[in-house]
Amino acid sequence: MRGTKRWGLAVALALVVAIAVAAVGVTTASGAQSAGTIKLAYVADFTGQMAPFDNPALTAAKLEIKNVNAKGGVLGKKLVLLQCDTQNSKPDVSKSCVDNLVGQGAVIGLVTCDVDAATAAIQEFLNKNLLTVSPCIGTDQMGPKRFGAKGKLAFSFGNVAQDEGAAMAEYAYNVKHWKTAITVTDNVIVYFKNIVQAFTSRFKQLGGKIVDAESFTAGDKTISSVVSRVNSHKAAVIVTSDGFADWPTEFAGIRSLGNNTPIMNSWAGDGTYWYPKGTKVSNYWYVTYASVFGDDPSPQVKALIAQMKAIHQPPATGAFVQGSAAIDGIVAAIKSAKGSTTGSTLAAIMVKFHNLPTISGKVSFSPSLHSVFGRAYRVMEVQNSKPKFVQLYTTKKLGTL
Amino acid sequence: MRRTTWLQELLAPIALVALLAIASSLWVSSADQSKFQTAIVYVAIVAALYVFVGNSGVLSFGQVSFVAVGAFSAGVMTIPAGTKPGVLPTLFPLLRDHSISNVWSLVLAAGLGGVYAFAVGIPLMRLSGIAAGIATLAVLGITYNLLTYWNSIGPGATTLSLIPETTDYWQATVGAISVILVAFGYQRSRFGRQLRAAREDPAAARAAGIDIHRQRLWAFTLSGALSGFTGGLYVHLLGSIQTNQVYLDLTFLTLAMLVVGGISSLLGAVVGAIAISLFTILLGNSEEGIHVFGWGIKAPAGTSLVGVAVVMLVILLLRPAGITGGREFSLPSTFARPRLRSR
Repeated sequence: MRGTKRWGLAVALALVVAIAVAAVGVTTASGAQSAGTIKLAYVADFTGQMAPFDNPALTAAKLEIKNVNAKGGVLGKKLVLLQCDTQNSKPDVSKSCVDNLVGQGAVIGLVTCDVDAATAAIQEFLNKNLLTVSPCIGTDQMGPKRFGAKGKLAFSFGNVAQDEGAAMAEYAYNVKHWKTAITVTDNVIVYFKNIVQAFTSRFKQLGGKIVDAESFTAGDKTISSVVSRVNSHKAAVIVTSDGFADWPTEFAGIRSLGNNTPIMNSWAGDGTYWYPKGTKVSNYWYVTYASVFGDDPSPQVKALIAQMKAIHQPPATGAFVQGSAAIDGIVAAIKSAKGSTTGSTLAAIMVKFHNLPTISGKVSFSPSLHSVFGRAYRVMEVQNSKPKFVQLYTTKKLGTL
Repeated sequence: MRRTTWLQELLAPIALVALLAIASSLWVSSADQSKFQTAIVYVAIVAALYVFVGNSGVLSFGQVSFVAVGAFSAGVMTIPAGTKPGVLPTLFPLLRDHSISNVWSLVLAAGLGGVYAFAVGIPLMRLSGIAAGIATLAVLGITYNLLTYWNSIGPGATTLSLIPETTDYWQATVGAISVILVAFGYQRSRFGRQLRAAREDPAAARAAGIDIHRQRLWAFTLSGALSGFTGGLYVHLLGSIQTNQVYLDLTFLTLAMLVVGGISSLLGAVVGAIAISLFTILLGNSEEGIHVFGWGIKAPAGTSLVGVAVVMLVILLLRPAGITGGREFSLPSTFARPRLRSR
């Protein structure tokens, strides 16, 4: 009897495999591109670490698609957005998402806002020769530099770090007249590193002096020593690009030492979600895509924020606007291609974008830079934990890495 | 009859892997096939883990270090040499200017995994119990930090991309079966038997003349080589890799697979890896919305994380020795009294 029970267990194991496979096997919907629609595949992290960045961009993309479709679509075809959650950027889930949505007829891919988190999905789209767009990857990695020849089909509507870092340097040196700076680099992602590199090169070019350059990697537990070393130097401004776990500690640490030196950040430091408890955020500047605090200079952006608030999904940072901008860019490319959605055709058009008007401002790409440069940044100032829009600023010359 | 028992013990895990590969390649949509290929590679990783943990009874948190070494060495060395200066400009010239084929990269991964395991195993294998577990965790931490911060040997904290995606169903299945064959051969060898004797009763084993340190070191090295090999399979399946993908999450996932399946049998390693993988796939898909036998299911976000943990808990409460009870499969000559055989 006992032997029979065990034999039953073994058979059950085999059956479980077969049944589970069969069960999963019938789950995937199938579909094809229907004549009157253009399907876009949005494969991003809607529930994991990147969710605070990807969800607002997704919402804005959906709203922009609604607007486009309300005006008759793209050359008579309606845009349809298919979405799939990569469940905290898991590579196998990302690849499966791409295959699933492309299987449902998607012809253009949209991916998460960080190139490292998005790599599996990007490569899967590129392997299928599809135009692959990120709303807000902020480095020159989204293109041939990271993905070789196939990367010609990859673009980001985020700002390239050489542009954003240079904007910070020019604003600091030319507008605020800060002639000396301390830089703090978080090596955890390329974007953070590249922003500080670009700031440094442009700041020095303008005549500024870097009095101390600190670095760490988020999570390496050295942030307290970094704060101490920063505090031991004097400069007109402390410059960083960070928004991850150690950033609130860094900010609060510097202020807790009585150091009120102005601190400048990139878009990474946008939003109020990171504000440290018990520490007023003051003497703090950053550049971003859009102000989410009701004072953005663009009526279009204000209207989009109002739409998002109306559906109870207010944006936390200015990057949301890139979801809409990416749709604007894709629509412009399809129109120029006379309705073609072939990846190489769209990429050949997109790489020639020069001052293309989008909701997030004018967008330009080049063969070497597949992320946006030349956009007018919103410079934001925070005093007493209250952010306000200060001015628009467009970089005069790119920084170098 | 006993002459064929070993064959049944060997064929059972191989048959499960083959069944998973054949069934999923035939019935599963192309979109979900990468998840099943990952499941097959997980079988290989857990079988490699079993070689040391299962046979020695020493819990090791460090085996994923060797998976990581294998993954990054195979990945870095198979990116075309012409592309590497652009995507990995900080590599040592020897690594930057040379590339090898997929097959050689797997050999390299296995070799480096074995050598690394041997080197760290010499001092570590003298430890046992909690001290050994903590020491192997330290090895994992050291490996992770070296790979994350030393960008002369890899991409550092960023994702390694452009790795040729050569691990398909065929290669994943052959790879997993190869690991199972080696693991089985080892556990039936004189060395494997000596190590299991030491696992059951160290004092008696020493009295019988078994050098426990030496036997653990051999098993650790073999497990390291197999883990390195599976790292190569893994990276060629994903096409990209970041250090946190071969760190704590993978360590605890593969250990959980081994414990759930039954820590002291090869069949347990295979069953645990397959069972947890299938639950993860099912629950993950349910978050996106699935139709199972006509029923539409859409689970809330995070269901797969919570669900898999609950399933593991339930299995361990009901069967503390794992699904297989730590036994290998054995089918007697007549079908009247089939049984699972204890190791």
